[in-house]
Amino acid sequence: MPALYNLALQRLLPASFCVVGTARKALTDDEYREELRLAVAQHSRTRPLNEEVWRSFAEQLYFVATPDDQGYENLRETLERLDEELGTHANRLFYLATPPNAYATIVTAIGAHHLRGRTGWARVVVEKPFGHDRESARQLTEVIQTVFREDEVFRIDHYLGKETVQNILVMRFANGIFEPVWSRQYVDHVQITVAESIGVEERAGYYEQTGAMRDVVQNHVLQLLALVAMEPPAAFDDKAVRDEKVKVLRALRPIRGAEVSASAVRGQYTRGFIEGVAVPAYREEHGVPSDSRTETYVALKSWVDNWRWEGTPFYIRTGKRLPKRSTEIAIQFRVAPHKLFPREASEGLEPNALVLRIQPDEGVSLKFGAKVPVQGIRIRSVNMDFDYGASFMVDAPDAYETLIVDALRGDATLFTRRDEVDQQWAFVDPILEAWASSPAGPPLYEAGTWGPADADALIERDGREWRKA
Amino acid sequence: MIVVDTAFWGARANGVAALERELVRLRRAQSAHARELGRTVARASVLNLIVYAEREAHAKRAALSISELALRHPSRAIVVLADRGAREGVEAEIEMHCHLPMADGATQVCYEQILVRARGDSDKRLASAIIPLLVPDLPVFLWWTGTPPMTGRSFGDLVGLADRLIVDTADIARPDVALPGIARICAQARGLFGVTDLNWTRLTPWREMITAFFDVPAWRPFLDRITGVRVGFGVDMDGRDIHPSQALLFIGWLASRLRWRPLNALAPSEAGGLLFPIARADGVPVMVRVRPRFERGLDEGDVSGIRVQAEHEGQRAEFVVKRQPDERHQTTTVLIDGRTRWERTVPLPSPAIVELIGEELAIIGSDRTYEDALAALVRLS
Repeated sequence: MPALYNLALQRLLPASFCVVGTARKALTDDEYREELRLAVAQHSRTRPLNEEVWRSFAEQLYFVATPDDQGYENLRETLERLDEELGTHANRLFYLATPPNAYATIVTAIGAHHLRGRTGWARVVVEKPFGHDRESARQLTEVIQTVFREDEVFRIDHYLGKETVQNILVMRFANGIFEPVWSRQYVDHVQITVAESIGVEERAGYYEQTGAMRDVVQNHVLQLLALVAMEPPAAFDDKAVRDEKVKVLRALRPIRGAEVSASAVRGQYTRGFIEGVAVPAYREEHGVPSDSRTETYVALKSWVDNWRWEGTPFYIRTGKRLPKRSTEIAIQFRVAPHKLFPREASEGLEPNALVLRIQPDEGVSLKFGAKVPVQGIRIRSVNMDFDYGASFMVDAPDAYETLIVDALRGDATLFTRRDEVDQQWAFVDPILEAWASSPAGPPLYEAGTWGPADADALIERDGREWRKA
Repeated sequence: MIVVDTAFWGARANGVAALERELVRLRRAQSAHARELGRTVARASVLNLIVYAEREAHAKRAALSISELALRHPSRAIVVLADRGAREGVEAEIEMHCHLPMADGATQVCYEQILVRARGDSDKRLASAIIPLLVPDLPVFLWWTGTPPMTGRSFGDLVGLADRLIVDTADIARPDVALPGIARICAQARGLFGVTDLNWTRLTPWREMITAFFDVPAWRPFLDRITGVRVGFGVDMDGRDIHPSQALLFIGWLASRLRWRPLNALAPSEAGGLLFPIARADGVPVMVRVRPRFERGLDEGDVSGIRVQAEHEGQRAEFVVKRQPDERHQTTTVLIDGRTRWERTVPLPSPAIVELIGEELAIIGSDRTYEDALAALVRLS
């Protein structure tokens, strides 16, 4: 809702538009508006609340309780009435911001009560996680497809709405200088880091069932990987872009059975310190059983088995209660082929790296060697840094704002397609199964450290190391 | 509660996220200002520098030095001010401030300064406040003001983040304790991080001049025939505080390069200095004296002059380097059989902390010559 309000502030909402909220509980329109007002005032990225914009925005907010079939009938009547009043031609966007286990029920009800409307378009926006594994994701897709066609389903992965994530495509395909070196020939390896310093906060119940693999790797990380590794699409539209992404996901070498222990590491945080404050262990979080085996950390070594990436590993790590919040993709290039300068002179020289920072401060940096200004030759690595905010002097739009506008316009480029979700589950399922059937629990790591020692071993075996993210 | 000088350190930020927002705001303001002048600000950083201080005066002095270096070493400096003296029961707390100081002419580069103030028993939590502040993937220098503790979690944690540890034994009154301690840190650091001492950096002009003597073919044979060395170092007028570390490092350096061995243990000489009975690689004794001298303008502990005596094929040679009273020049003299054969005056580089730090930040990794000198010195004493 803060995203919608901010779109209103930016005059990006359609001229004729309304929001109908629904839930099991009963609320009047006014109670609903007041509830949202408080939430938006607290969470909006623009503060304080612009009262005048809010007032006119709030006039378009309605609420219908849907505890039972009669509720859905009421909803249909309200929608039809509003269509008439607003002239919206029964164009409807259904946004499911509910617990995932309710998706099937709600979509079925949308179908059963003919909420789609007879004219106009209908789309449904679904939040992650989409399914719990490959099988449940397929079942959910089947249920949804009894009501919506695949091109009407918008699966949100909010990472794709982030400016820098979209910028990956711009960097790669709007510039001439990067693509020629974007392959096994020049790239030694790729590191994708999605680090969070927060713990599970109030989401313990959800997280306990999910874990880092399902919460982050299955969606955000694999999407980032696909964008970095994909071939140039023929057009910038939903079909061409997603076709190329899914090819990458299909080319991901499966990690299963005995390979899991060599290529995948999980972990769970214990007590430690974050930003100077003592924090509890995962198993001490409210709502987490004291013998929980849920992973809060995942590191993977993965391969994209195709012509472009043969022999170039993609290292992935993500976790909670890591020392800092940081999401980045680092393309680590090979070292210069001939060592022209003496070893002493180049002690401070590291291989080139192009780093795409997604958060906290969005930007791009390029690391290269430069001569230290002294007599004789001494070489140091320097970082040339492009900072999104400082260069464009504006705040990047929030990911949800971008995605909601896209969904309203019917552009699905930044949403995840059925086959992508399917491939993503196909990749993570065997790893999760191997972990579930292993008698050992996840190795522990102290909160505020970069994960368990096994994760370091995973990359150090190959003579490489994790970046200082 | 002592309040830090926010005019100097910048406004207090409530946590890392708030600090980042504040830095973005400051950067934007700087960038907007630069645009008006038709310039751009390059956010080119080459290093992270963590400064550890236990007194605000030291922290400020260090911060001023680093900001002067912004042009040479654009960096993010994280100044840690730890009130270790805080009373028991004071709640451990970490406070952060940030600031983008602009040195003259340095408007095109970005230098970020962050103050992390730790109060109470923050030993365990300090590193967790610093890691999120480091610029990713850049080398980390740790400048430890005062005597580095050999134990304690925060020292271990901070050193664990660092690629290079910089100490200054000029601030340390007990070299007999501190130097072996630093040598132990060096031994543990092998392959993990480099160690250096600003007192070693101060010796560079002296080592250069001494080395230059023996580059001359006619004088080269004297190098293996040294019979005595005298090193003078500054003390205050009443000669109470003695800081001989710098002079001692010079002896360690000669010993490590020339493979000298101890004959006896370190013994105090009658004049308040130190006397080292040392054997050359060929077993012949070398008399080495390190003595304090009072000289106007000479900082305590700084080397004032070096005299190397040698005998070769019946000739007695003396190689002398002296600091001029003007503090800005060195004179080098060579005497053969008491007759001056050569004399020259060269400029003496500024001993300002900013210059020394600048030198050390240009080096990544370990300085084997220093580590060898320190190890040799510890063996001699």
